[in-house]
Amino acid sequence: MAIAFEGKHPDVDVQYTMIPMTNGEYQTKLKAALGTADAPDVIALEAAFVKSYVESDMLADLGSLLPDAQAAQTYKFVTDVGTYDGMTKAFAYQATPGAVFYRRSLAKEYFGTDDPAEIQALMADLDKFTAAAAVVKEKSGGNTYMVASSGDFQNPFFANRAQPWVVDGKLVVDPMVEKYIETAKLFRDQGYEAQAQQWQEGWFAGMNDSLVDANGNAKQVFAYFLPTWGLPYVLAPNAKSADGAHDTSGDWGVITGPLPYQWGGTWLGIVKDSPNMDLAKEFIRFSTLDQENLTNWATGVYTNDYLKAIDPNVAPDQQQAPGDFVSSQVVVEKITSSFDNSDLSKFLAGQNSYAGFASAAPSVNAKLMQGSDDAIQRALNDPINQYLNGEISLEEMWTAWKDAVRNEFPDLVIE
Amino acid sequence: MQTLAKFRRNYYGFLFILPFVLAFLIFGLYPVYNTIALSFTNTTLMSSKAEFIGLKNFERLFADDVFLKAVGNTWLLWLLNFAPQIGIAMLLSVWFTNARLNIKGVGVWRALFFLPNLLMPAAVASLFFSLFSFFGPVNQFMVQNNFLPEAMHFLQNKTITRGLVVFIQWWMWFGNTVIILMAGMTSIPVALYEAAMVDGATATQMFRHITLPLLKPILVYIFVTSMVGGMQMFDIPYLLTDGRGAPSSSILTNNMLMYLKFSSSQGHIGAASSVGVMIFLMTSICSLAIFYFLRDKDSAQTRK
Repeated sequence: MAIAFEGKHPDVDVQYTMIPMTNGEYQTKLKAALGTADAPDVIALEAAFVKSYVESDMLADLGSLLPDAQAAQTYKFVTDVGTYDGMTKAFAYQATPGAVFYRRSLAKEYFGTDDPAEIQALMADLDKFTAAAAVVKEKSGGNTYMVASSGDFQNPFFANRAQPWVVDGKLVVDPMVEKYIETAKLFRDQGYEAQAQQWQEGWFAGMNDSLVDANGNAKQVFAYFLPTWGLPYVLAPNAKSADGAHDTSGDWGVITGPLPYQWGGTWLGIVKDSPNMDLAKEFIRFSTLDQENLTNWATGVYTNDYLKAIDPNVAPDQQQAPGDFVSSQVVVEKITSSFDNSDLSKFLAGQNSYAGFASAAPSVNAKLMQGSDDAIQRALNDPINQYLNGEISLEEMWTAWKDAVRNEFPDLVIE
Repeated sequence: MQTLAKFRRNYYGFLFILPFVLAFLIFGLYPVYNTIALSFTNTTLMSSKAEFIGLKNFERLFADDVFLKAVGNTWLLWLLNFAPQIGIAMLLSVWFTNARLNIKGVGVWRALFFLPNLLMPAAVASLFFSLFSFFGPVNQFMVQNNFLPEAMHFLQNKTITRGLVVFIQWWMWFGNTVIILMAGMTSIPVALYEAAMVDGATATQMFRHITLPLLKPILVYIFVTSMVGGMQMFDIPYLLTDGRGAPSSSILTNNMLMYLKFSSSQGHIGAASSVGVMIFLMTSICSLAIFYFLRDKDSAQTRK
């Protein structure tokens, strides 16, 4: 992106610094640099912490770019995340609506069809989703789990609350959260989930059918809740098991699922009082709102050769492969059909995932996102696990969670 | 007048220790002072204004039982790790320095016991995490050999998780203790043991009346450094589970609580500093207690 910008503006030199996020180094370095003379002009902010920066007074107002956003028909939820108190401070080039990926062969076995439209009808809302889970368990004799873990469907529940976590400095527990815990308990008690926590060995094993329980019996997972980037970065690479014995490529389909949600994404903002304000604003406009750039980004025009033509010092493996779901509805509608025969659609037995996401994107709501979300939600994981394991009661779970939140946010009012 | 003359004679000595004193003042004492100062404010990393709020941070620490739980956990994890550590290390040191037993290859054994200390905590935590995961090898072994009826979430069980942390800490540090104890024991003159043997002392009596008293300075060193390290236990419990002391804050230690406050989305340095101050106070008082109880009573009297 930076190099393409340099291509359009040959007299500008963009300095790009990459800091890994593995153990929070990125945020530590960023927090230390902001407010000093060494601060960068433009910063990239991941969904997990974008809100806390947007809510702070550290980013500049980008309201002047709103007309461009309107022209590009940037998805509402993308702009909502970058807006606080009426001021828009961050834009994104990506949109990351969530979806559900299901195994076609298993769908044929248990539901008699693998057509996405029919499967979507079968899982159109939460009650239907739970009913489908019961069918999966019954027809497979308990050998197939609807989802890998209850953590998989945490995002959809939280994205469809009526109230955010913090209202007027008070912690609020929306009914959807209680519904989530109820559903998680139901799934655990009935055996609809494999207890394979996300991002751990078992979760990945389920993707390529190499999941084996403690007794050595093979188990399968029917569906995974993953967003746009989940397909090329998580599901596709893990569909083949390490020893090559199992391969589920071509056996997947994608649907919107019971509830719309979004997961992840990267926003760009400008540090307040940056000395290069106009140039920085132009960079953000180019990266996130310029239709030509977004089209090139998403359709894979930025190959290594293209980038080398602008800047010969480009690394040999630097390129942007096609498939990233961009934030402009105008661009998305124009390029959706170009993905009909891509590698990713072969992975989905010919289904165009871009079209699937395009239909899901407009109904995603990110108005409730707040800076403290990540910490509050992560503090819930351990108490929920203890509750699901039957080690503590529901009351104790809420108390444990509230204690953890109180310790991380001393100024929050919790009752 | 006499002290001035002594100073003029000895000023080279002061010159030599000056670099250490300066470095200590800048890198040791100043951060302590700064932490204490910060603990009385509500400074955060995310906003540029900070105000003096007195003892509010400390009040909040004791408002619920999370801090006390962390302190309790830290002491429990350290004591459970230290007792076998000093016990087994002492036993091994006695055997290895015993002239009668004359064990061969003592150097090799020492190196082997010390090796775990060189491992990266991240690698060790990751290893144990994979071993004890729900779909991992330990579960498979236990279930297939009928030790367990079905797989269990080892790392969601408080006792087992604490046990794992204690085991890892013991395994990583007992070699270090063996080396230091052996160094101390070999410096005890053999003549004392020979005299005791002539007087008809048993091995236990020799240990209690010769080895232990003469090892006191080394023991003080081991107790104090182990306690300071134990009070600051962070890497293994942080990396073994979710970084918040799961399950149910059973392995939440002082330093983890401090880090959680510091790295939260607000970056509450004031609150984190207050935890730091409490750790500092606790460690100082306990170290002074160790120094007092293990002091050399005889030499103190002869100086009088």
